[in-house]
Amino acid sequence: MMGGNTANKPKLLVSGKRVDGRGVEDLRQIKIVARVLNDADGSAYIEWGKNKILAGVYGPSECIPRHDQSLYRAIVKCRYNMAPFSGMEEHGRSGPSRRSKELSKVIKEAFENVIIAESFPKTQIEIFVEVLQSDGGTRCAAVTAAAVALADAGIPMKDLINAVAVCKIDGEMAVDPGKEEDNFGESDMPIAFSPRTGDILLYQMDGLLTREELARGLELAKGATEKIRKIQVDAIGKVYAEPKEERFLVIK
Amino acid sequence: MESKIVMPGDIVSDKPDRISYAFVDKGKTYSTVVGLFHDGKLVPLEGPYEPLVEDQIVGVVTEVKFSGYSVEMNTAYAAFLSSREIRERYEMGDTILARVSMIDEVRSTELTDAKKLPAGRLVKVSSVKVPRIIGKKNSMIDMIKSSTGCEISVGRNGYVWISGSGNATLAEKAIRMIEAQAHTSGLTDRVSAYLKSAKQ
Repeated sequence: MMGGNTANKPKLLVSGKRVDGRGVEDLRQIKIVARVLNDADGSAYIEWGKNKILAGVYGPSECIPRHDQSLYRAIVKCRYNMAPFSGMEEHGRSGPSRRSKELSKVIKEAFENVIIAESFPKTQIEIFVEVLQSDGGTRCAAVTAAAVALADAGIPMKDLINAVAVCKIDGEMAVDPGKEEDNFGESDMPIAFSPRTGDILLYQMDGLLTREELARGLELAKGATEKIRKIQVDAIGKVYAEPKEERFLVIK
Repeated sequence: MESKIVMPGDIVSDKPDRISYAFVDKGKTYSTVVGLFHDGKLVPLEGPYEPLVEDQIVGVVTEVKFSGYSVEMNTAYAAFLSSREIRERYEMGDTILARVSMIDEVRSTELTDAKKLPAGRLVKVSSVKVPRIIGKKNSMIDMIKSSTGCEISVGRNGYVWISGSGNATLAEKAIRMIEAQAHTSGLTDRVSAYLKSAKQ
C-alpha cells in the first residue's frame, strides 16, 4: 500500500508547499455541524477537506444481545461504514469488510477510554459512522465527528477527543495527509489525543519512521489537535446559539 | 455571575469539588457533559434520564405480567409496577402517571401510586428540559394549560402527556419551542407571545 504505484508518484513537497498548497503544519479545512439528525440521541456531520462523514449516537439503551451486557458498565459499540459511492476504489456493497471492522474496533477503543460507562450498567452506547465521501484520513474525521455526536447526546465523557494523522512526504513530516499523500507518502500515522491530558487513545502506523521523525510527528499532531478541538467546541456551541426545533443537514 | 457553557473535559474548579456531572482528576474538577456552569453548579444541556426515587414519571405499559406491569419510561431500564400497588388494571399501550418508589444498584426500578391517563398524545422531550417546561411554581405549564385548554401531565423523565378537548397541537408546538430554547432567558414571555399570536 505504501508508495502506491511509484511510477505515477507526484512531487509531494515543493519548496515547503504540499500538493494542495498547504504548509506542513496546516490542516485541511474542517467544518462540523452538530445535531443534524432528528431521531438519533446525538449526531454530527463533518466535512474535513473532501471527506464527508455523518456520525450518529444512540444510547444508553438496553444492551442487546444480553450476553454482551455488563452489570458494571455500559458497553460501547461502534460501526464504521463506507458508502459504496464514497471513494475512487470499488467499495462494493456496504457492509463489514476487513478494513471497516478494524476501524470500528479502533474507534470504539478510543472512546472506551473517555466515556464514563460505569454510570449506566447493563446498557449499550452505539456509535454509527457513515463515510459518504472519502479522501484520506476518514478514521480521524470519524473520531472527531463521533466525539461531537456523543457530546450532543449528553453522554458523560472525560474529554472531548479528536484525531489527526501525520505523514512523511518526500522525507519530511507533515500533518493531516490527503489521499495523494496517504497513497504515495513514505509513512502515515493516525493519532487520537485526549486534549485535556495529552493521553494517546488511538495510535496506528503504516510505513517506517525514525525516532526523531516520530517525535516530530507527535508534536505536529498535538498542535493540530488543539485547533480541531476549537472547531468541535464551536460546532456544539452553535447548537445552543441558534436553537432549532427541527434538525436539518445544512452546511454553509 | 454569568453562567457559561462548558464542554466535556473543561475545568470547572481548581479544587477537588463534589459537583454533579463533573469528575475529579489530579486534584481538579472537570465537566463530563455539555452544560451550563453557574455558581458552582453544573446543569447538563442534554443527556439521558437518570431516575431518582420520588420522581413523578409518565410511562407506557409495554408488558402485562402475572404479578404486574413493565413500564417504558425513557430509560434503558424498564420499570416494574406491581399489581399490589394499584387498584386499576392496565393493558399494553396504556399511558400512566406514576412515582418511582425504588431503584437498586443495577438500576432495576419499581413504581407506585400509578394512575391511568385519559386518551391523548405523548410528546417526548429531553428530560433535562423538564424544569423549564414546568417553570417556576408551575408558571410555564399553567400558562400553556390555560391558553390551550388542555390537560397536561409532565413526567420528570421527559414524557409529556397532553389530553382533554383543547388545542393539543398548539400545546405540543409550545412544548417543542421550550425544548429548543430551554437554555435561553426570557422564555416565558416568548412562549406567552407565541401562544397569543397563535390563537388569533
